[in-house]
Amino acid sequence: MDITVPLLGDVEQVTLVRWLKRVGDEVQAGEAVAEVEADKAVFVIEAPAAGRLAEELIPEGARVRPGEAIARLEEP
Amino acid sequence: MKEIAHVALGRAPYRPVWELQRRLARLRRQGHIPDVLLSLEHEPVITVGRQGGPEHVIAHPKVLARLKVEVVEVERGGDVTYHGPGQLVLYPILDLRGYGRDLRRYVACLEEVMLRTAARFGVEAHRRPGLPGAWQGMKKLGSVGVHVRRWITMHGLALNVDLSPNLFSLIVPCGLHGVEAASLAELAGRPIPLEEARQVALEEFAYVFSADISPLDRGALERWAA
Repeated sequence: MDITVPLLGDVEQVTLVRWLKRVGDEVQAGEAVAEVEADKAVFVIEAPAAGRLAEELIPEGARVRPGEAIARLEEP
Repeated sequence: MKEIAHVALGRAPYRPVWELQRRLARLRRQGHIPDVLLSLEHEPVITVGRQGGPEHVIAHPKVLARLKVEVVEVERGGDVTYHGPGQLVLYPILDLRGYGRDLRRYVACLEEVMLRTAARFGVEAHRRPGLPGAWQGMKKLGSVGVHVRRWITMHGLALNVDLSPNLFSLIVPCGLHGVEAASLAELAGRPIPLEEARQVALEEFAYVFSADISPLDRGALERWAA
């Protein structure tokens, strides 16, 4: 399952400012995994389901569009 | 009409209010409390947001220690900023699902509150593309920095009402070289009591967010947050 940046309204791009979890970490549904920022507003990305963070697709500091995947989640 | 419960915290140190915000945001996410707006001024503090680097704090740690100015790294957007007496701070804990689920629009609304407040004191301020805040030329009058989780906001805006711009020389404001801090009083050419600016800003907040702002006493807030 992909972890995606949610639609944030009139926002075309955000910067991934911080990974809060690392590849291999177990996460619970609703747990914070990363922070993105646009226009001085940080938005927390949460895990959509429980599982293991299998791959990070976007490095810290890179730009990403709402709707795009930032990581893959391996469900148990 | 939407309702926002407002609590005036007076002058308060940074960390306890930060902790209060986090507790209120958690309670708001869980649906236990309504939308809340905190208004206050901080004791002197420098905060570093997620885009910020410690290199933007230019004062020597010894100078900061002597001035009793702590540097705190926080989860809001933006770079380095200074808070202190004479600066009006508003921290809305709002569920943006009631306000259009739009991160950019929310930041624009906070800017609008500052621009309209400045205008009420005869000061014409404006936005700068890509640099959220309230500006007059290269002079920065007010800042925005927000944290949102599950559409619940924390942190907010800081408007320089009447404070010495010298204090901003401790930092590179917003991490941008060449930015000069300014206050409403300086630009209006007269002293402005913080209380006067606070009342005006609350009216403008209610207008911009199309909300009724009703006072909540601090005791009730503390019972919620306990």
